[in-house]
Amino acid sequence: MERTRSISRSRTSSRYNYNVPKGTGRRHKEKLKDCCRKMVAFMCTQVGVGALIIGYTIIGAVAFIHVETSARNTEVSEVVAIRNKTLKMLFNAVMKNNIFDHRQFNFDIDHILKNHQANVIEIFKHGYDERPVEEVWSFPAALMFCLSIITMVGYGNMVPKTKEGKILTMVYALFGIPLYILYFMNMGKILAGSFKWIYRRIYECSTEKDENRTRKKIIVPSTACLWVIFAYILTGAIMLSEWEKWDFLDSAYFCVTSLGKVGFGDLVPGADVNASNHGNQTKLVINFVYILLGLGLVAMCYNLMKEEIKVKLKEMNEDFNQCLEDTKFKFLNCCKRCKRRNDSFYDDEY
Amino acid sequence: MERRRSVRRLGRRYRRPWLKKCKEYIRNFIAFLFSNVGIIGLVIGYTIAGSFIFQYLESGEQIEVHANALGNRTLYARRLWNLTMDLNYNVQLLEKEYRAAVAEELITFQKIFVNLTRKGFDGSDDLCGKKSWSFAGAFLFSLTVITTIGYGNIWPRTPNGKIASIVYAIIGMPLFLLYLSNIGDVMARSFKWIYANLCLCRWCPGVAERRAERQMRRDQQKRDGSEFSNSSGSPSSIENIEMDMTGRRESVTSDANTINTDESDDVQNITVPILVCLMIMVGYICGGATLFYQWERDSGWTFLDASYFCFISLSTIGFGDFVPGDKIYGHGKIEEILELKFVFCSMYLMLGMALIAMCFNLMQEEVIHKIRTTTRTIKYIFRCR
Repeated sequence: MERTRSISRSRTSSRYNYNVPKGTGRRHKEKLKDCCRKMVAFMCTQVGVGALIIGYTIIGAVAFIHVETSARNTEVSEVVAIRNKTLKMLFNAVMKNNIFDHRQFNFDIDHILKNHQANVIEIFKHGYDERPVEEVWSFPAALMFCLSIITMVGYGNMVPKTKEGKILTMVYALFGIPLYILYFMNMGKILAGSFKWIYRRIYECSTEKDENRTRKKIIVPSTACLWVIFAYILTGAIMLSEWEKWDFLDSAYFCVTSLGKVGFGDLVPGADVNASNHGNQTKLVINFVYILLGLGLVAMCYNLMKEEIKVKLKEMNEDFNQCLEDTKFKFLNCCKRCKRRNDSFYDDEY
Repeated sequence: MERRRSVRRLGRRYRRPWLKKCKEYIRNFIAFLFSNVGIIGLVIGYTIAGSFIFQYLESGEQIEVHANALGNRTLYARRLWNLTMDLNYNVQLLEKEYRAAVAEELITFQKIFVNLTRKGFDGSDDLCGKKSWSFAGAFLFSLTVITTIGYGNIWPRTPNGKIASIVYAIIGMPLFLLYLSNIGDVMARSFKWIYANLCLCRWCPGVAERRAERQMRRDQQKRDGSEFSNSSGSPSSIENIEMDMTGRRESVTSDANTINTDESDDVQNITVPILVCLMIMVGYICGGATLFYQWERDSGWTFLDASYFCFISLSTIGFGDFVPGDKIYGHGKIEEILELKFVFCSMYLMLGMALIAMCFNLMQEEVIHKIRTTTRTIKYIFRCR
């Protein structure tokens, strides 16, 4: 669609210029057309898609905040009711055992507490979070949630609880995922291109003086890609362990599972209930950028490695064929020699 | 490497005609392993191995959390006892005062338990932590790792388990991608074949001939019409004639094609319309939703919840707020049903993701076809002007 529109737009621009005197007019027209096309292509490829993704997530965040906070949250009041009920039961138990028998009292209290605990856990599994909804669905958190939908990470630390929210999630994913895939492919191609360029520059710098051989196609080795990813994960892990006071292993685990789109959601930055809410917001935004960039890097590595693997496979195939030829040749030689020896043996016998 | 070595070894042992046969055989076998059934076996085997590993690594940790929970509860019982005694000594027990004091204690108690639940406590009291890391649970966990769904209803808690899951994911994800691309391709091809033979009724006797005849007649009419319009003297441009020429040429070739239809060649050229693909996906999700709805009705799923679960799973988002068999822990139901559910869920996921890959395969073809035709028409339009 975009492409057809761009073509038509360049068309219209060319038509505007139609009345310009002929000699330079055509050249102008061509230039303008070219310029327009280039701009649209640029918008379509790099910055445009990034902006589109960010805009889409912002819109999604606003929509989700609106939908989720408008719903009455029953969980908190439910928990309060359960607590009151437990209190009453406790008081009754105390009154009943007023001639205090420690054992009986302990037994009763234990029973009541167990009941209470089971109830609380049940509610927790239905999504009780100890915080009011407005606090849970703060803007950066909603941004994170939208990103986790369209990148298919799906942490699951915050989920839509209302019916409208669920339907909205499905629709949002339906349109967001193709957009993300577009971003993934574009970003991968561009990052791969720039990385290859840098690599080639360094390579030429380091090997220029030895020999001036013809420029053959330089392929970035997969180890370089892996180093880049490794460094990225390492920086992320150090950053998170510094901020969130996690173990280093936990932070590395979080980075790998996020960049691999597994996203368990057992560890999510900024989801700690006890932490203060203000510092978290900037952290969440930085984390958002970190994940978005990291997924682009993964795409880059995917692109580069694909190329290398293709070349490697071809080489391996050739190697294999050569090896096969060799063994065949050797085998034949061996057979011939055996035959000759046998013949000579028979000749000797005769 | 493996392949090369085996070929060499066999080459020494057998005579020359055997060599060729063996080579062929081994190559076929490896191709088979990497193509269809082999890769399914590979994925399933990898998942089973992973489930054993995780079960082994994680079985110890669960006990600690449970013990922690139990200790906390006894601690709070004692604190309540102390509180009651204190209040009882000071004044005669007043309900209001007592309630206020106990409420505070209860709130801290509740917070501790919410945190424990976050760490994986599931509300049951028995100390053997077998429930979440049963074999089926571990199997589903491994599958969610390599498919990148990642529900997060259970996750590794020990450092060893975390490292293992990192390594497991790094190896497993490319394997699963291979599975998806292979199976998607095969399914797309077979689906196309089925679509061609059933829906377009290729095999029915006489239909193909009739269709070819109809096509020919239509072309004839078109040609007559265009000739008529040409001869009527309307000032048609050169492009128009050229288009007509190409059209005629195309129609001639298509005639030739339809008359000498080569079945296998023809089938793969058909593009399945996008609507059919979408219908399949929606149908699969709805079918899964009804099934899960039937199963999980006791634990409070609505139909919307079930379809939401199917969509979230198949798009590999995987929030993990709804997982089949997740809410049974607290009630202590029969284990076997749980296992069956886990197994069914993993089968549903594997099949569904392959199906979606197939649909994407088909849709891609169709979209490319559409784009090509639109660009061609746009070119024609602009050339005309």
